[in-house]
Amino acid sequence: MKREKATTLYFGPQHPGITGNMMIRLKVEGDTIVKATTEVGYLHRAFEKLVEKRNWIQSFTLMCRFCVPEPDPVENTYARAVEMIAGIEIPERAKWIRVLILELARMSSLLLWHAGQGHSLGLYTMGQWSVGDRNYLLDLFEELTGARIYHMYVWPGGVRKDFPEGFGERVLKTMDYFEKKLPDYDNLLFENSIFQKRAQGVGIVSPEQIIEHGVVGQPLRAAGIKSDIRIDDPYEVYEKLKFDVPTQTDSDIWARALVRREELRQSIRIIRQVIDKIPKGEVYTKLPNPQKWTIPAGDAFARTESVRGEVGMYLVSDGGNKPRRAHFRGAAYVHAVSLLEDVLVGANIADVSAIMNSLGTCPPEIER
Amino acid sequence: MGFFNLKGTLKPLTSLKQFAKPPHTIRYPEVPVEASDRYRGFHYNDVEDCIGCGNCSTICMNDAIDMTIVDQIKGEKGDSGLRPRIDYGRCCYCALCVDVCPTGSLSLTKDFINVTNDANTLLVTPGIDNPEAVENISYSSSTEWSLNNFTRIPMEELEGKERVKCFAEVVLGYTEEQARQEADRCISCGICTEVCPDHMHIPEYINAIAKGDDEDALRIIYDNNPLPEMCGKVCTRRCEDVCAIATRGEPVAIRWLKRYATETAEASDVTREIVNPEIREANGKKVGIIGAGPSGLTAGYYLALRGYDVTIWEANAKAGGMTMYGIPKYRLPIESLEKQINYIQSIGVKINFNTKVGKDISFKEIYENNDAVFMGVGFPKAWTLGIEGEDAKGSMQAVNYLHMINSGESVEIGDKVAVIGGGNVAIDAARVARRFGADVTMLYRRRVKDMPADWEEIEGAEDEGVKFEPQAIPIKVHTDDNGKVNGIEYLKAEMVQSEEGGRPRPVAIEGSNIIMPVTAVFAAIGQQGDYSFLDEYTDKVKVERGRFIVDDKQQTTLPRLFAGGDSANRTADAISAIADGYRACKAIDEMLLDKQ
Amino acid sequence: METFLGKIKDRISVNFDLEKSSIDIEKKRVDVQIRKEQIPSILRYMKENMSFRHLMHASVVDWLEEGKFEVIFMLWAPKEKIRVFVRTKLDRENPIMENLDMIWPQLNTYEREFKEMYGIEFTGLVAPEEFILEDWDGPPPMRRDFDTEAYAKDVFSERIGREDAQDVRETIAKRSGEVIPDFAKKHSR
Repeated sequence: MKREKATTLYFGPQHPGITGNMMIRLKVEGDTIVKATTEVGYLHRAFEKLVEKRNWIQSFTLMCRFCVPEPDPVENTYARAVEMIAGIEIPERAKWIRVLILELARMSSLLLWHAGQGHSLGLYTMGQWSVGDRNYLLDLFEELTGARIYHMYVWPGGVRKDFPEGFGERVLKTMDYFEKKLPDYDNLLFENSIFQKRAQGVGIVSPEQIIEHGVVGQPLRAAGIKSDIRIDDPYEVYEKLKFDVPTQTDSDIWARALVRREELRQSIRIIRQVIDKIPKGEVYTKLPNPQKWTIPAGDAFARTESVRGEVGMYLVSDGGNKPRRAHFRGAAYVHAVSLLEDVLVGANIADVSAIMNSLGTCPPEIER
Repeated sequence: MGFFNLKGTLKPLTSLKQFAKPPHTIRYPEVPVEASDRYRGFHYNDVEDCIGCGNCSTICMNDAIDMTIVDQIKGEKGDSGLRPRIDYGRCCYCALCVDVCPTGSLSLTKDFINVTNDANTLLVTPGIDNPEAVENISYSSSTEWSLNNFTRIPMEELEGKERVKCFAEVVLGYTEEQARQEADRCISCGICTEVCPDHMHIPEYINAIAKGDDEDALRIIYDNNPLPEMCGKVCTRRCEDVCAIATRGEPVAIRWLKRYATETAEASDVTREIVNPEIREANGKKVGIIGAGPSGLTAGYYLALRGYDVTIWEANAKAGGMTMYGIPKYRLPIESLEKQINYIQSIGVKINFNTKVGKDISFKEIYENNDAVFMGVGFPKAWTLGIEGEDAKGSMQAVNYLHMINSGESVEIGDKVAVIGGGNVAIDAARVARRFGADVTMLYRRRVKDMPADWEEIEGAEDEGVKFEPQAIPIKVHTDDNGKVNGIEYLKAEMVQSEEGGRPRPVAIEGSNIIMPVTAVFAAIGQQGDYSFLDEYTDKVKVERGRFIVDDKQQTTLPRLFAGGDSANRTADAISAIADGYRACKAIDEMLLDKQ
Repeated sequence: METFLGKIKDRISVNFDLEKSSIDIEKKRVDVQIRKEQIPSILRYMKENMSFRHLMHASVVDWLEEGKFEVIFMLWAPKEKIRVFVRTKLDRENPIMENLDMIWPQLNTYEREFKEMYGIEFTGLVAPEEFILEDWDGPPPMRRDFDTEAYAKDVFSERIGREDAQDVRETIAKRSGEVIPDFAKKHSR
């Protein structure tokens, strides 16, 4: 009788290497994975159903909860989808503030990625530093929006409040701090031969997989495709800003890490430009009474470039005071299910966590 | 890259330079961190400013806010008496409750730490359970950031110069779009309904307008008011005084919205088609009504709907009472009122015009031939000034003047008129006289801001060129040789604060006599009742301070006799009269059906 | 841009029998509605012959009143930067359509979700039985006739101590003796 070589291994939902609450059922032969199946269901909060029961303004407070590490791109996507259907033009200053908060969110999320990627390969100091430094960004968020994580700041019609006194200078000061700090990150992570050896040639996404799975964000750019929603399908005021879209060609964890390393610097560059050029004016278009506000029937699909790639919201109005349907697609919806299942085949068990992190897995985004 | 990479091994060791440096975030011993100036922490509510409108509870999508009865707050007019209580097991600190608070009483604070073993302590009534939090307010509401709309959609009016040329209606009314926008501002709390004497269903009909359902709005309005178009034009609208939005902005234009809804039906048969009232089968009972004013018409309309045989006796040639004869036509066009009265007649209310009770028919006959009688007889007699020369030619009562003008008579007033008084009748008479080309001055004992007239009316009079002479006490009407008025003499007054408090009292200044040359003088200092028609029943129907004594069902001291309107209530406006009529209708219905 | 979008629309309509089509210049978007049988061929055509290689999103909308499910595929041409929305309507009583994950494997995930949340059957779909919901035997929960509130009330208990909550409108009406007629209540807040 032939012995069954494969063993089934449950990776998660409680596992120090997993990002959030999800599970991957791995079939392994020795150390090598022969089949991976993503299993979600630990975080379903039925937001899309709840949105159908709430009016247009009430719904906006749920948006930040779709993805915990970077709530703002989702808020922005929802707000723009509503504005597209309702035909609202928002004040110029509000657009600039939105860009600022999106880029701050990008930085904050990239710092978390530094922590997660380091953590998944045993480099714990990286996480302690970057998460500690992220607190300075959270301080800025708190000052601007009134909350550290769930900002509930970008809403249909503009943003909720204008800058507090002297906010711009404090943003620039924080950027100065980060620019001073980034060489340390290089020393600790990118120059580290442990990281290099573990990252290079691992978790390769093939060009076919890119089209088949609708890959977006850094995995796309790390495969040599210069694609960024901020440039391809520009929104807010990204057209008026100068920034580079870094690319790499190897399409492995290392290539994606280098793309992210550069994106952090580009975000700082954008933030400096925003603070420099932001015009004066209103930040909010007065909307009707939220209880009675109805939006003409129609639909819209708005996209925002989040840190892990394109996130989109398909929003449908039937002419009532509540959304008919709000369907959110996060990057992780494909990256962490169909793509991850493919990429993990042939990988080593010890690399699962690093690959998940590198693809930007975020379970709350899959289940919503 | 070989197996051993010297650079890649040594570089990470630069992290050692952080060794022994203090940490970035947490200090030891712990220093409490103060939250930012717009931090969204626990709530604080200024319970004195809060009016319990419940808008916070409505916007909360987590269902975390309950409106509850609070011991120290008494519910009264303009305050529901309820205060929000937050369930912090559900609150997500989104602060939408603050953004929609019309009074600005609700805010969030910098407090965010609450450690407890008992989940039930998560229910907090802000402001009452945490009065000290007032020190820590961070995220608060301002009119600039509010989700409420504090600015009223302006009502278009004729220019003052145009107005005085004719009796065209001054207020042009909302267009459909304006009405929808204005209705959108209402937060539907219903606090207004309590001060409306008739308790009209205000939030319901405004919401119907906001949704574009004008027909439903009209049906809701007709539920307890059969003269809504009149109210929509001239109501004293005490509802707007307590409007939740009015605490920090301009109240929702409740009156104009009612006007909009009623004007969508351009004729009485259209009104009937839309309202489509259910008229019950005749029950064989008869109700007599004296006076076809607002209270009589209201009682008649709702009694007729309930199957009663209703007859109204009216002394004048037209129905409407003071609304027909006392209100100038630039405020309430005759066609508009007739449309409403036609509708009331169309459902079976009989009106005998030109029939004065006590002269053409006796009260006794009416009382004995009907199962119940309602009196809405109003105040037909005006108070006299009690000064010398008052009976001169050209000196008259403002209410009589309005009556004559509205009946289509022409009145000789010359080119300079003095109106004495500061109420709505005085303003009406002044503005009518302006339309006949006279130069009009209003003499009032107190200051302009003390005038009891509607502020919009006062502004309207100013726009039309009416002059004001406040703090003036008339003492004599001067006449020429033919006994015709040629001047009015008055004393200037100063306002004296009485020792007991209360409002300041005008005291005449000795020797400050001024004589103003005028060709006519209108007195408008109030009216009184005339109850001589009761005849042998006079003793049985008790009167106190000029008004019938009625209970809370409008029943007088004589069984089967009910009264309402100016002769029974102290507020003396049309909507109170309508309320009286509606209440009397319910009481008569109850009384007569119980007997069966 | 208008003529370009028009050309795209024309090219699709030459090859396929469209039920409806429209263009939106501002959003750079072409909308086409087609019978469900043609969905696999139109998607394949769009991907392989017309450079709409990126499937941005796919979604389902429940039009309960119409008795239809609308399935929407949102495509993006990365080079031309144009969106095409391919729509089809399914009978709500019998929502079946063909499996599409051989065109874009990512559709496998979407199909699993639509099957679970709306009860749409995809013939030929190979996937684990459960996706997000675990041990769920109720009706597909994203359907509009599934009442979330009734379900929550049924399954979970309310926190005690909140029973004394008052309704503002009713409190005021009760105090002043106002009787709100039933036909007006639908306009109360």
